[in-house]
Amino acid sequence: MGRLKGNKGSVALNRPIFIKRQTGENMKADFIILTNNPLIVEKLGQEYTVEYEDISYEDTLKKVRDYIYKGHELLTHPLSGSVKPNETPYKSIMISKKVQRLNQDSVKIIEQAIQSCGKFEFKSDKYAEDVYDDFQYIDYTLISSALPSATAW
Amino acid sequence: MRRLELGHINIKDIQFGPESKIEDGVLYVDEEAVKAIVLEDEKIKSCKLDIARPGESVRITPVKDVIEPRVKVEGRGGVFPGVINKVDTVGEGKTYALKGMAVVTAGKIVGFQEGIIDMTGPGADYTPFSKLNNLVVVCEPVDGLKQHDYEPAVRFAGFRVAVYLGELARELTPDSTEVFETYGIMEGAEKLPGLPRVAYVQMLQSQGLLHDTYVYGVDAKKTLSTMMTPTEVMDGAIVSGNCVSACDKNPTYVHENNPVVHDLFAEHGKTLNFVAHILTNENVYLADKQRSSDWTAKLCRLLDLDGVVVSQEGFGNPDTDLIMNCKKIEAEGIKTVIITDEYAGRDGKSQSLADADAAADAVVTGGNANQVIVLPKLDKVIGTLDYVNTIAGGNEHSLHDDGTIEVEIQAITGATNETGFGYLSAR
Amino acid sequence: MIKVVHYINQFFANIGGEEMAHIPAELHKGEVMGPGLAFKASFKDEAEITATIVCGDSWFNENLEEAKKTILAWVKEENPDVFVAGPAFNAGRYGVACGTIAEAVQEELGIPAVTGMYEENPGADMFKNKVYTVPTKNSAAGMRAAVANMAPLALKLAKGEAIGASCQDNYMPNGVRVNFFEEKRGSRRAVDMLLKKLADKPFTTEYPMPAFDRVPPMPPVKDLSKATIALVTSGGIVPKGNPDHIESSNASHYGEYDITGVIDLTEDTYETAHGGYDPVYANEDADRVLPVDVLRDMEKEGVIGKLHNKFYTTVGNGTAVASAKAFSEEFAQKLIDDGVDAVILTST
Repeated sequence: MGRLKGNKGSVALNRPIFIKRQTGENMKADFIILTNNPLIVEKLGQEYTVEYEDISYEDTLKKVRDYIYKGHELLTHPLSGSVKPNETPYKSIMISKKVQRLNQDSVKIIEQAIQSCGKFEFKSDKYAEDVYDDFQYIDYTLISSALPSATAW
Repeated sequence: MRRLELGHINIKDIQFGPESKIEDGVLYVDEEAVKAIVLEDEKIKSCKLDIARPGESVRITPVKDVIEPRVKVEGRGGVFPGVINKVDTVGEGKTYALKGMAVVTAGKIVGFQEGIIDMTGPGADYTPFSKLNNLVVVCEPVDGLKQHDYEPAVRFAGFRVAVYLGELARELTPDSTEVFETYGIMEGAEKLPGLPRVAYVQMLQSQGLLHDTYVYGVDAKKTLSTMMTPTEVMDGAIVSGNCVSACDKNPTYVHENNPVVHDLFAEHGKTLNFVAHILTNENVYLADKQRSSDWTAKLCRLLDLDGVVVSQEGFGNPDTDLIMNCKKIEAEGIKTVIITDEYAGRDGKSQSLADADAAADAVVTGGNANQVIVLPKLDKVIGTLDYVNTIAGGNEHSLHDDGTIEVEIQAITGATNETGFGYLSAR
Repeated sequence: MIKVVHYINQFFANIGGEEMAHIPAELHKGEVMGPGLAFKASFKDEAEITATIVCGDSWFNENLEEAKKTILAWVKEENPDVFVAGPAFNAGRYGVACGTIAEAVQEELGIPAVTGMYEENPGADMFKNKVYTVPTKNSAAGMRAAVANMAPLALKLAKGEAIGASCQDNYMPNGVRVNFFEEKRGSRRAVDMLLKKLADKPFTTEYPMPAFDRVPPMPPVKDLSKATIALVTSGGIVPKGNPDHIESSNASHYGEYDITGVIDLTEDTYETAHGGYDPVYANEDADRVLPVDVLRDMEKEGVIGKLHNKFYTTVGNGTAVASAKAFSEEFAQKLIDDGVDAVILTST
């Protein structure tokens, strides 16, 4: 699995785009996790539906936005975690499987999140190797913190 | 009526000595005794102690938590209930606090660990903890320890040391005493007729590892919005497990000395009736946000409040909770003031918050966390500079050859605190 | 000694009121005039006004390019350390002139500038984010306070000193957030603010929320082929000759024009009154801004029911939001009364 070091944008990708949609065993779970964090596939992919793509933090938000405009509902906050955009390269966001009418609250939150990416210096590619493991792990704990609520009913 | 007497034991200096004691305002620390307390946890391999005093050419980094030692000398329970002492309702009786000092835990938990306390120079102006005599505890984990095991190990080590030092004050006579009195709902309405009914709504960071807060030992993300007597925090009812975003996280010290609680008490019985301290969280899951903010507004209504102050912790995700709380509480006809900080970009021109609403017409700001500052080289570093380049707001140029550090103030512990602990602001 | 060039209008130069607003720009070398005297007193020995430029408000706004060119040449020649314009108080065209010339001096000559005016002066909205603009009272009665705030800011700018937050150096918030240390900590300020809010007393938020003027979207037009569509523009398209004299900037009114039977807007029949963009292409073919021709085609093809026989037009160039709102409220009612189903709103 590729180790992403935070691309500024999809244009900068010089390797084949890798998208993996893994449908987990927990069919009751009514959500999809969109992520650019390979650890999520490993940790949660067996049980839940995880769509992984080797893209930047900002592009992950934009991908979520595109799903929202198709009628998926945003379930977790795109700016989860105090680690800032462009600081961590990783982001995992939960959306509904169900497609319904466009959800205005989802639109507002994702658009504002995309906007705020621009405020932070890009340094996702400046860290020592092992720091990326930490970023992946923290992103995993952030999205995991939503699981008890997301699977409660 | 509930009453808490808070005795101040003023600490003018900290020194290492053969025996731990407080004498003439000097805290003497038996280094070996403290180390033994830290190393009670087998997950910690080694630890180093150091002292940093106001004005010294010392930089502490990466800071994890800052804790004020306290001891419960009368009344139910002990400090840090559900964490160090048994679960029991605190906030009544008599508590002594070692003022003018803190226990600072430092050390790398993750590779992007952050938090700078400069004891002198321009950086010192931005952190409230530069004014304290700090006993710094630098911990090293055993090899191969995972972050989720290491974070609580360091967290608890800090509390154990603070409790140990607090105990030294048990038999002393305080230099001064503050008295805090609160009433039950009916009692307060009778005693303070005509005064506006005000509560403090505190939002607690609750997003996951390194982003957690504990109330009586309970992980805040697993709680419904709830309420306490405002004196309970003074006995350590809330502790921090939050290590990210140094500028606007609330270290345990800030919870113990919560400035909104303090300043509302200053007006209590004079211009307002300080009714309750309401706690709510900042979860990642959006439906949790809706539930928690609904619940907060509902509690405000049930308490027949006239006004609230809402404080925040962290960046981005909590902006949404802040605006939800503000909107819903205002919609109940309750006047609301919110405290936040800003990420307006290095040039100050970007939208400051990730959410906004016209209902938020009374905002206090802790300043723009993206402001760049150059910190001079200091003579001594406690902890390590290895991580300065990767702390929030630092970049590859952060650490210059001449030893100066160029960072955004978000790297400085407490710089833009969103409980209004500091003096920084912006317009 | 710091050198200052001061810009004022005909009124403050004691030449005359509206009847003298047509006078072209004049350079008064070595003269200190009108409010300049107050500035001189406030500058003490730190700075001197080396020249005063006087210009009629009408002349400035109607001969924008020439005015800018002339004045910039003079200022360049004088080479001051700071350029001061106004204060303009509530005089709309004076305020716009002050902002315009101050911005030009700053941008083109690299000389810092400061101006002052009443916050509802249309010039304030237009320029406060570009030029340090000191808020003043709405009449010249506020001269003393205006100068007391403008003069120290001008000196700071001239010396190249760091400018503090808007509340410290007394300028209108300009979209740049600046940190500073308050005298009271945040929690105390929050409690004080709450006490004021509870007592219904005025208080000032430290972070004004971004202005929202969200309009909920209308449901889609059910059947376009039966709908009456109207055209509305802020691009200034008017019948040739601009019969209602809609101003080229800061418009005070809008126009309503009948286009019954008009299939195409031609060079001979329509033009733009707008002063904020190159009018060549709009004057050549006004359909480029107000697409009557295309809508007539759609009408013929049955795509739309019909094109409404009137269009509404104004100039968006520096027009105050409050004016624009008043115009639209008025003609929106007319559109509703006329049974229009939908409007295409064009800008430039």
